[in-house]
This record gives sequence, structure tokens and C-alpha cells, in this order.
Amino acid sequence: MKTATARQRGVEHDIVQIPQAGEVAPYYEPQGNEVAVFEAAYKRRLPVMLKGPTGCGKTRFLEHMAFQLHRPLVTVSCHEDLTSSDLVGRFLLEGAETVWQDGPLTRAVKAGAICYLDEIVEARTDSTVVIHSLTDHRRKLTIEKKGQEIDAHEDFMLVISYNPGYQTVLKDLKPSTKQRFIGINFDFPNEEIERKILLSEVPGVSNEHAQQLVAAGRKARLLKDHGLEEATSTRALVYAASMIGAGLDPVAACQVAMVNPITDDPELAEALMEIINAHFAA
Amino acid sequence: MSSPAIRTLLDAIREASGELLFEIEAVLPVIRPHGEAVTLEWINACRALFDFDHEAGRVFARGSREAEKVSEVVLPWTRQALAIMRWRHTLPAIDGFVKNLPRAFGSLGHAGEDRWAAIGLTWCARSVDCGCAYFATPVLEMSGRGGGIAAIEQLNTPAEELYDSRKLQLGTFLPGAIRVRNLLGTQAVLPWAMRGADIMQSGRTRGEAYFRLESEESLALLLENMQGYKLADRNRLLGILLEVWFGEGMELKESTWSPEKGRPFMEMDGASLYFPAVMGNREEAILSVLHAAGHMRHGTFDRAAMKQMFADAKVEFPESDAVSWAPIFTRFGDDAMRFQLIFDMCEDLRVESRLQKHIPNYFQRLIAAARATLARHPETAPYYELAVATAEDALRAARGANSDPVRDKRFAPLYESSATLADAHRIAGEIFAENTLPRVTDAEAFTAAFLPGRGPNTSRVAHPQDNPEENQQSQPGAEQENQPDEQGEDESDSPTESESGEQQDGGEKQETAGYGESSGAAKRGENRPDGQQTGRGPADKGIPYPEWDYRESRYKKNWSWVQEKRLGESNSTETIRLMKQYSNALKRLKKAIQSQKPTRMSPKVKQMDGDEIDLNAVVEYVAEKISGRSPSPAIYRRREMRQREISVILLADMSTSIMQHLPEGGGRLVDRIRAGVLLFAEGMEEVGDNYAIAGFCSKYRDNVSYYNIKDFDEVYNDDVRSQIGGMSGRLATRMGAAIRHATKHFERVESRRRLLLLLSDGRPEDYDDGGDRRYLHEDTRMAVKEAVAKGVHPFCITVDTMANQYLPQIFGAGHYLVLDHINSLPNKLPEIYLRLRR
Repeated sequence: MKTATARQRGVEHDIVQIPQAGEVAPYYEPQGNEVAVFEAAYKRRLPVMLKGPTGCGKTRFLEHMAFQLHRPLVTVSCHEDLTSSDLVGRFLLEGAETVWQDGPLTRAVKAGAICYLDEIVEARTDSTVVIHSLTDHRRKLTIEKKGQEIDAHEDFMLVISYNPGYQTVLKDLKPSTKQRFIGINFDFPNEEIERKILLSEVPGVSNEHAQQLVAAGRKARLLKDHGLEEATSTRALVYAASMIGAGLDPVAACQVAMVNPITDDPELAEALMEIINAHFAA
Repeated sequence: MSSPAIRTLLDAIREASGELLFEIEAVLPVIRPHGEAVTLEWINACRALFDFDHEAGRVFARGSREAEKVSEVVLPWTRQALAIMRWRHTLPAIDGFVKNLPRAFGSLGHAGEDRWAAIGLTWCARSVDCGCAYFATPVLEMSGRGGGIAAIEQLNTPAEELYDSRKLQLGTFLPGAIRVRNLLGTQAVLPWAMRGADIMQSGRTRGEAYFRLESEESLALLLENMQGYKLADRNRLLGILLEVWFGEGMELKESTWSPEKGRPFMEMDGASLYFPAVMGNREEAILSVLHAAGHMRHGTFDRAAMKQMFADAKVEFPESDAVSWAPIFTRFGDDAMRFQLIFDMCEDLRVESRLQKHIPNYFQRLIAAARATLARHPETAPYYELAVATAEDALRAARGANSDPVRDKRFAPLYESSATLADAHRIAGEIFAENTLPRVTDAEAFTAAFLPGRGPNTSRVAHPQDNPEENQQSQPGAEQENQPDEQGEDESDSPTESESGEQQDGGEKQETAGYGESSGAAKRGENRPDGQQTGRGPADKGIPYPEWDYRESRYKKNWSWVQEKRLGESNSTETIRLMKQYSNALKRLKKAIQSQKPTRMSPKVKQMDGDEIDLNAVVEYVAEKISGRSPSPAIYRRREMRQREISVILLADMSTSIMQHLPEGGGRLVDRIRAGVLLFAEGMEEVGDNYAIAGFCSKYRDNVSYYNIKDFDEVYNDDVRSQIGGMSGRLATRMGAAIRHATKHFERVESRRRLLLLLSDGRPEDYDDGGDRRYLHEDTRMAVKEAVAKGVHPFCITVDTMANQYLPQIFGAGHYLVLDHINSLPNKLPEIYLRLRR
């Protein structure tokens, strides 16, 4: 069984990949109306902003949607040194010639892919401005260095994600950027859905373990205000389930997947372990 | 049938004192069987003691009957008593000696008694007072529980040592030492007493209070050395656990328990939880916290249920805020303890069955902890065993169908989630009537009957809760649901709360005066001019700011007046001390900043000049050149240390409350704040960002003080450092005005990002807010909004653990941080800033 995320391993392939027949959609469990919203936005080719905490399924959702809509997905993980030429493209030397190389955004604009700018707030403000003309009615990308403009492919769509934690107080998106997007809020899924996710993500994990993990995860999230930078994510729960599936004792699995990575504070760790023990030592 | 010799002697005594003769003749029959020689010697001793001190002779004669009965000898103790007579003014010693004799023989044996008396005589030789204190102390107390003469010797060794080296009187030492020994073991006595001797030298009253175990320092020392789990140190963990399992709104306070009060229990009164400083072990402590919170959440204090129970008991239910449980138990008279144990067991089972539903391993833990405790008090062992058995039953009931059926049907209704306090009371009454459990009279036995984590549920006067229980029960998972009824709770509590708030305020005012005096004349001199004076020019009045009145939904113009001033006090010794104390933290901090620099201080790329070549720019330059364009030769990268793109004001709340002592000890909150500000400043120097430091406090709307400790363009020097060392708390917290003023400060600064870092320890309050908390909350919220509109990002760091209740509304989610560990403030403050500026 091939999934879109798991085609030929260990082989270079182009960033623009249309989902192939026979592949299975990346698993995603809808929490609300996000699928419908996204489809509507896609119909009108409006840019979408995915907001939510780390590890709650933003990226997976987009992978899933891209597959369902049968569009290639081009992902750019933004970082603070990301410049506009990293997005748009640059001249390269080749012998005595120079060659223009399209950046991922330009590639997506041309190919009609969904371009996903992950953690957009990390990028410098000057690089986020290049997307402005793409996100309104113009749907154009200006390649300043070449003195060119590209009208976006009719299937092109821009998606950004960001995580409104307090770490980004100073790094908010400019309001002028924000208001160009359709916003979809994500949060950790409810108990029932989260359990389903664990069961489908980790084949072989028992229903009981999934239930316990989910219950423990919900309690652990309550510690967010006590100094945890990020709350226990669904991803962490999936990891814990995987470790249990790989034969590790449940309490130990939870400790390595849900406690050790997210805190160095001994008391918080102790409190987290209390929660885990309460659910697994039954 | 007396011999002539005896008769002569008695005649002589009759001459001296008829009373003594009466005493002697009463005891004579038990002495005479020991033979004439013994009898003579004994009568002579009586006479000698009588001559020494009339009372001594009578006491001796009177006590002889018991002494003879237990020891079955006469001469040894007669001679010992005579030996004491060698020193003058030893009547109390003789009196104590005689009274202790039966017990001494009974518990120490003949050899032990001999040694006991010998030690006493040595003390008499040292000092009569010590000797008296020694003999006056009951032997059984000195030997502890069956410790015998060895235990007395063990107490005696440090006592002798301290007497020789420090002239510490035995009378001062002994009573406390016995308690310390009983609580902490023999090895703790010497260090405890050494410390006491030191304190004694610095002041007699203080030292005596220490030895009576009445002073803070001796209690602290005791608690420090207590075996077991120290809840006071784990306050934060317990708080977190409560929040996890019960959501917000559980108030955790330290009770007044001290070690000699016996077994420590968690207590609750319907409004707060009270924890003892120490409990046996971690399991017991955590079970206790969960258990007590369970009572609070699951209807032990539900007004309706309490009413029902009082009605069932045919006792009148007082319609007051505080309800005593006593009438429920006193109607059983002598048998009250038996009923109370049964009632507590029933109510515990009921509450714990509810707890088990959201803490899935509660009963498992309880049972495991109960089994791990092996000691049982013989009198109440049946209670303990029954409690374990019923807990197992409750667990079976909780597991439902796939488990064994419940064994003891009597308790079964309590496992239902519909059971109430009144049901527990009814079932307790039924079981009480069966009369199968033994009577309990001994307090120690009573406390030993409780499983670890459980305890008397009714030890405090109850504050009935009015909220319907179903609402309260909604679990923290459903926070939104929880919110409304928590607010409801707030409202219903508000009369009492605002009352206490006022009281606090009053206290604060007083305290302020006190601190004002202690922190030097500088501040007072400064405060005076802006007190209530008439005819001040507008310059004195400061700068006016509007204030938001939510009741009228409008701004009140020129309402709050901010005076900007310098901080009068400075304290360089404190600064030096703090710098020393936190030197390691400072080193770490600076290292961290330096190591972060290359990445964090992202080098400026594409510069016209600089110290490195920007490779990307070069490639681009060459490429564009070749392709026929004329790019600008900006191909360098430069590391700019002073990139003035962020400026920050650290605004510290300097209200009275920061002067409070930390609950966990180790100084006051202000010490941590000073240290935090100092580390922040040092860190900022390293980072190179533009910053200012200020403090604020207020008294009424026209008197908001804004202390500029370091302005933006001011150099950070020793003067600023010592001002930070001199920061102290005074007056109240009108936060909105301070925020507005700080925002105004930013106007003079050119920078892209502006951060207002607010360091606070409580909610906005002032003396003139009339108890309406919401007023200043709303105003602060508006001030924050105004700041954001002016391009300033306010961010609040607070050490008030209750802040989650109001900060989200004021600053907005994600724009505040609650530090629930005050000690972490100094280290955290610069860290938080660095994270914010990332």
C-alpha cells in the first residue's frame, strides 16, 4: 500500500508531485467543518490560514486535502533567515552563464500546486510581502529580478500556518497580511476523535491503551498555564502509542513521548507522571 | 508492737510535729516488715528530711507507701533521698524524686532507678535548679515509650555537654528536648539544642521561646528535620495536581499543624484546603490532597445535603456562613468518636467513589498505601481493616459488571453517584446502631483509624456551598462549562471576599507605614510633598490620564494623575549581595546570550561593508552581473551588536504585597523581584537592546507614582544597580495608569518593536476602587488595548497563582505568563524576555 507521503523512499523527487492513482490518502480525521471550509476556499481559490498549536494536525490536514483535491503540495518551512529569493527564485552561475532557478513558490504558482508556507511568522516581514499580490484578486507573482510577472495557474492556492503561542507576541503577522486569508482554527481533537486517530495511526494499539492515552493527554494539556511552552500534542500521543505498540511498557512510553521532551521542570514532570500513572496504573 | 527504739524515736517526732507523726504512722505498717534496722533508718530519714524542710519530710513519708510497694525495698531510695538533702533549697527535687519513685522502679528496674537517681544527684551537684528540674520531670516522659534508662542517658549526654560548654540550664533544655527526641529521634536533640544555645546567647526570651518550641525558628528547624514528605515545599506540585483533576478554584493553604499535634491530616472547610507542613510520605500526601479536594467538589459541604443531614440528626441547622459539625457528634456523648469514625468512613467512601470516576487509580492507590502501612493501633484496628475492605468493595463497584460483586452490602448505596452527605450520615447511623465496632476513647487511637490520605472530615467549621453539585462536578475537560458556575461562585462569595479584601487593604496600609519607616527616611521625605497638600501646581500633580469606567462605558477625562519620580532609596549592599548570590545564574545567563548571538542576532546580510563576505550575495551579484544587470555591490555581512529594532520597558509592580514573606520561607517576594530585575538588566546589557526599568505604585487616583529607575538612554551603572537593590513595596496597584504612562514613554523611542514587560504579583487594585475589582480590571484592559493601538506590546509576568482568573481578560490569551514558582523568577525573567524577542 502506497500513501502519498510514502512513495519511493530514499529517492530524490521533484517538489511538485501530483498524487498518483493507487496511492492512499494521508489519514485525517475531521474535527469540524474544516474540510468543507477548505473545499469552498479551494473552489474560489482563496488563500487559507491554518491556526493552531503544534502537533494538532495542521500539516496532516493539508496533506490530506491536497490529496483529495488531487493537487501537488509544495511545502516551505519558514525560518528567520528566509528571504524572498528563497521563495521566488534566484540566478545561479553555470559556467559563464547564469541560469534562473525558480523558487518553490514560483514553481507552485506555475504548476498550479498548493503552496504551504509552514510557520509563516518565522519568516522575515520582507519575504512575507511577496505573497501579497498572490493573495488578493490579482493572483500574480512579481519576479522583480527578472522584471517579470506570472499570473498564477488557475489551480494555484496558497496556504499558511501559524501557531499563536506567546512566543510570537512580537512576531505577529501584519494585519494587512492576515486579512487576506480565510482562517481555520485548529485545536486538539475531542476525545472520541483523538482515540480514533491513535487507533488508525498506530495499528496494533489496543482500544484500552488508546483510551487511556487520550484521557491522560487531556489532563496533561491542563498544565499548559504552568510553564509548558507547548501542551501535550496529538502527535505526542501518537508517538506514545507507537512506543507502546513497539512493546514498551505504557508508563515508560508515555514518559519518553509525553513528558521528557516537553519539560525540564522537575515538578511539572512529576505532575505529568502523576497523570500518566493515574491512567495506566489502574 | 513497736520496739522501744522506734517508740523513742516516734515520741521525739511527736514533740516536733504531730502532723509528721501522723504521716509516718500511716506508712509504718508497710515499712516495719523490712526489719527494725531498716525501719529505724527510714524514720530517721523522715526526721532528717523534716528538719531539713518540713514539707520535704512530709512528702517523703507520704510517698514511701507507693515506693515500697513497687520497689519492695526501703533503704536504697531512702538513702538517695537523704543524698539530695546535701544541697540547700532542694525541696522541689525531693518532691519530684519521691513522686517519680514508683514509676522509676516500675519502668527502669532497680539498676535503672539507681542510675536515674545518680544522674539526678550529679545535676544537683552542678546546680540545684538543674537538679530540681531533673527530678521534677516525669520519668516516663524522659525515658520515652519504653526507652528505659538508656533513653534517659541519651538525653542526658547532650544536656551535660551543653551545660558544660554553654551553661544551658537543664530546666530550659529538658521539656523541649523530650519532645524533639520523641518526634525526630535522639540524634536530632544535640543539633537542635546547640542551635538553641546560640539563640539563647543573642536573647533570653527568644531563646526560651525556642526551647519551648514556640518560636518560628525552632518549629522551622523541627519541620526541616521531620521525616516524611514536606508539603510546604511541594505547594506548586499540589496546586498543579488540583488544577489537573479538579479544575480551577481550589484554594490551598497551609494549616497550623505542628509536629507535636500528632498525626498530620489534610483539612478542608468548604472554601479552602489546608495542608499540614509534613506528611508521612508522598503517597499519603497526594492521596490526601485528592481526597480533600474530592470532599470539596463532591458535596460534603453542599448546603442542601448538610441541611438534610442536620434535620435527620434532629439538630438545628444554623443559617450562618460558618456551620459547626459538632452537634452531629455531641449527641452521642462519650461514644462520639465511634460515630465519627463510622461517619467519616461512610462519607469518605461516598466521595471516593465519585473521585474514582475521573481519577482512575484512586482506590488502587489508596488500598496499596493502606496495606503498606503496617502499624495498627490495637483499639481501632477493626476500623482500619473495615476501611480497607470497604475500599476494595468500592473499587469492585466502580469496575462495574466485570468485577466481583460487592461484599459488604451495608455500604453499597454509597457507591452510587446519587448518594449525598445525608445518605452517608444515615448509613453511618445504621452501622453505629449495630454496635459491632469497638468504642474509641483514646485520641491517638482515633487518628490511627484513618487510612493514609483520609482524615477527620469535620475538623474545621464548614462553609456550606450553595452551588448545585452537578455543575461543580463538570470536569475540567469541559472548561467552558465550568467557567460560568465558577463565576457564579465568585459572585456569591463576593460579599465576604470584598470584606476580607478591605481588611487586607487596611492591613496593607498599616504595613506600608511600617515598611516606610524601616526602609529609610528617603522615601518618606519624598512621599510627603505629594501627600494631601493644597495649592500644588499642575507640575506637582503630574500628568493626567483618562480612566475607563465600564459602568458608564466611557472614559473619565484627566482622572488618574501620574507623577514621575526617581526612586529615593538605593541599597548597594543588597545589590552586591544579590550579585553574589546570583553570580552563577548571571554567568550562565551571559554565556547563554553569547552562545546564542550568532544565530539570534541574525547578522545583517547584503551590506555595503562588513567583516565577512555574504556568499549568497556574492553569487547573486556575479550571476546578475553576468546576466547583464548592474547589481549593487552589497556583498558583505555584518554583525551588528546594537540593533535598535526593539525597545523594552520593564515595569515592576511595587505595591505593598511584594513585601510579604514567601510561604516557603527564604525571604520576601521583593528579594526575588530585585534579583529578577537585576539579572534582567545585566542580561540586557549583554544583549544590547534598548531598555528602561521602572516601578509603579498608587494611592488614590490622583497619586500614581511612576519610578524611573533606568531610562532608555541612561547608562546602566552602579547607581542604577543600587536603586534596583533598594526597590521596595508601598501602597497599591493602579495598573492602567502606569501602563498608559509607560506607553507614553515609548513615544520618544525610535524602534520597530516595543515591548512593555509588566512584572506583577496580583490584580490591579487601589484604595479608592470601592471593592469593585472589575473597575480597575476593565480600566487596565482598556489601557492594554490603547497600548496595542500605539504599537506597544504589553506582556504580563505574574507570580500570583490565581492570575489565570483575570489576566486572560486583561492581557488576552498568550500575553501573560504565570510563574507558579516564585524562586524561579530571577532566572526566568531574562529568559522570558529572550524568548519573547526571538
